Amino acid sequence: MTHNSTMNLPLVQFLMENDAELLKVPLSGHLRDIYSIYLIQMENNHIEPPTHEQLISFEEFVNDLKFISEVAPGSLSFKRENPLLSQVDELLEYIDVFPLKTLYELYTKRQESSNDQVQQNSNKKKEQVGNTSTLERLINILDFEKSMTTVHSSNNQQHKILSNQLNKILETEPASYELARQRAKEITPVIEYISTCRDHQHSSILASTVYIVNNKIVSMQWSKLSKYEIENPQFMACLKSKIHYVPNLKPQTDLTLGDCSYLDTCHKLGSCRYLHYLQYIPEFLTDEVTRETHAKNIKIKSESLKIPFYTHGNCSSLVIKEQAPPQWIRCDVRKFDFNIIGKFSVVIADPAWNIHMNLPYGTCNDIELLQLPLNHLQDEGILFLWVTGRAIELGKESLANWGYKVINELSWIKTNQLGRTIVTGRTGHWLNHSKEHLLLGVKGDPQWINKHIDIDLIVSTTRETSRKPDELYGIIERLVGPHARKLEIFGRDHNIRPGWLTIGNQLSGTCIHEMDVKRKYDKFIASNKNPNKWHKKDMNGIKSGNQKKFQSQISTF
Amino acid sequence: MIESETTYKVRDSENTKHVSFKPTKEFHTNDYSNRYIQTGSLPQKHVTNIENSVEGYPKLQKLFQEKEKQVSQYASTPFGCKVDIDEMVPTLNRWIQRDNLSFDVVMVGCLTDNQFIYPLLTQLPLDKLVSKPGFLFIWASSQKINELSKLLNNEIWAKKFRRSEELVFVPIDKESPFYPGLDQDDSTLLEKMQWHCWMCITGTVRRSTDGHLIHCNVDTDLQIETQNTRNGAVPSHLYKVAENFSTATRRLHIIPARTGWETPVRLRPGWVIMSPDVMLDNFSPNRYKNEISNIGTNIPLKNEIEALRPKSPIQKAV
Repeated sequence: MTHNSTMNLPLVQFLMENDAELLKVPLSGHLRDIYSIYLIQMENNHIEPPTHEQLISFEEFVNDLKFISEVAPGSLSFKRENPLLSQVDELLEYIDVFPLKTLYELYTKRQESSNDQVQQNSNKKKEQVGNTSTLERLINILDFEKSMTTVHSSNNQQHKILSNQLNKILETEPASYELARQRAKEITPVIEYISTCRDHQHSSILASTVYIVNNKIVSMQWSKLSKYEIENPQFMACLKSKIHYVPNLKPQTDLTLGDCSYLDTCHKLGSCRYLHYLQYIPEFLTDEVTRETHAKNIKIKSESLKIPFYTHGNCSSLVIKEQAPPQWIRCDVRKFDFNIIGKFSVVIADPAWNIHMNLPYGTCNDIELLQLPLNHLQDEGILFLWVTGRAIELGKESLANWGYKVINELSWIKTNQLGRTIVTGRTGHWLNHSKEHLLLGVKGDPQWINKHIDIDLIVSTTRETSRKPDELYGIIERLVGPHARKLEIFGRDHNIRPGWLTIGNQLSGTCIHEMDVKRKYDKFIASNKNPNKWHKKDMNGIKSGNQKKFQSQISTF
Repeated sequence: MIESETTYKVRDSENTKHVSFKPTKEFHTNDYSNRYIQTGSLPQKHVTNIENSVEGYPKLQKLFQEKEKQVSQYASTPFGCKVDIDEMVPTLNRWIQRDNLSFDVVMVGCLTDNQFIYPLLTQLPLDKLVSKPGFLFIWASSQKINELSKLLNNEIWAKKFRRSEELVFVPIDKESPFYPGLDQDDSTLLEKMQWHCWMCITGTVRRSTDGHLIHCNVDTDLQIETQNTRNGAVPSHLYKVAENFSTATRRLHIIPARTGWETPVRLRPGWVIMSPDVMLDNFSPNRYKNEISNIGTNIPLKNEIEALRPKSPIQKAV
């Protein structure tokens, strides 16, 4: 130990204060681990970043330890688990604090009495102690953990470091999340996006410059606009690049009343005294965004023709393979034989729960819903179930009965024309309802899902009664890929889309492309001795001959 | 004067070109989920009334102001009761038995996954702690609420505490202290961005006739984090929903979790807050009982509020 003639006092102090922690699990006396903890501690202890000299190498650290144990015999004992291992792979077996203390006191005394460089160092140290003591006292008052458990302050520091590192490890995402997210960014078609102006002044300027006829913006007084531009230099640029909502002032409008709760869906535009708005986007902006989005999507398509390296959960011919055309079957879901349509990766169900509300369509009984044989639809996969109010519990129960585990709950934050959440009206019994719930049930252990691309929220404008946001289809395509078989139960005409089979009693007619589904369906209709009138209609509604036949994709996964 | 054509000349840096400000005919809506995939901008950031949820509705704004004023006028001293999680049930039992205390609004939990709600709910004589009618709010992750539903749906429970609403709290971004993160999140398909609350009612209240006890349809079942809520473990939204709904003045918040010294549990006027990390330990049952007897157990009716708050349509007598 010739290189090290000076005693590493901070290390002695470190050993004294953390003797038990260093020997316990998880460190268990491993020198390399103790070394890294020591370095972290050194970094944290110093107000200024540690100098290069203080950051010793691992070899120096081991040498320092050996030196300490030589100078204070019996203070440290080492153990070699494997005789083949080198000296640096030894374990610290025992730390005796008493000789270390003696050593420490001896050295600090010697430093005080002698008059060399070391003293200056220790003086500095003393100054630091003097400075921090008030600070330390104040911190002690603030620090609950310290005051509650009277652990040594530095020991506590140790806990904090360990828990921080543990948290860091727990917060680290699996690489699959990031890969899936990046791939989704590369291959998801862009949807036209125009940001919304949030400057209230702009909308009031517009109110005084637009000319509205029949609730449509007909023209603008640009002389006024350019005058405002002088006062608000960014106004024109904003008008050219963002969506604006222009107050639709009418003779009966009473500004003191505020905004109409229904806004653009108000049925009494001619007499309603509340304020309504018109969306204003210059046509050239829409055209420009459409053009740009189109160009982007062509680029995405051509670039993704290259085979991506990350193929998890998607079919390898992702880009060239076409999606199945939209298919739908008009039927009474309660009497339908689910064996006809095969198995699916994803099922959406939006049942009309029997809540106390007068909806413009018949609701089916909750018990009937529970009895639907939805357990036949998937061997493994995801079921999305829309639920409202009291149906949340019933929905969870149903999912469990069908063999699903509720794994996520997605909330649809319902917004109005102006992008605000719905806060008015009496939309709920006790509180107003600004959101709807979608339960995500998982059956089996599907490995082919791309998790954590999207978040469990959708922010989207409300449309017709009970119509759900289309954003969900995008989220689902990213989860299971565009080619997975997908089924929507209780769908209406607006739910029909490529890649999906939609069933429900409000659809117009029936259209099946998958040959085996068609065969089974025809058989089902024929075997029904007394088919009800829907089914009779369906027979006529099937467009079979002239449609391009799609091979069955029943076992996509 | 109105120009017939909405065309005007814009002088760009070099060339002069005509820009037509003719409006687009079709209504445009944005797909914020798609936008999130492309740019990482979170959908909830696009909600335009986050900071003032009743923006555009002067009547509701006035109602919120009036309610806030009245709630603070009839608020007890902010009380903290600093006890270890293990000591919570014995302490509460003592309050019930020795001090004869009960509360009308009891909130359990906060926005962390690491809570001991189940043992607390099963050990606590909740029907004695919560008076009738009374209101119970349980805040946790949606998974925890899911697990709890087994307990809360059993017959004995469901009879006493009727589940009435499910509230949601949404953090604004991933830097938020209320961002749920990956905690206990091995199997989820979508990234979590919300906390749930199970709101229960015990006893009988009718929304049409019990305006002295409850004010319905004032708040909504959705709260989005605002800018000023990052200074503690519990965002004020959680308290406000309960305060706006029930007129009761006896409110208790139990946090069966360690929130740590970095996110302190702050006190709130009108609430007794029990937590191992609450900033002050000043609760005394007798002092509390005295204060409540001075304030009264319910905030009295106020004409301004009655005129403004949404009410059930009056049933016409046949």
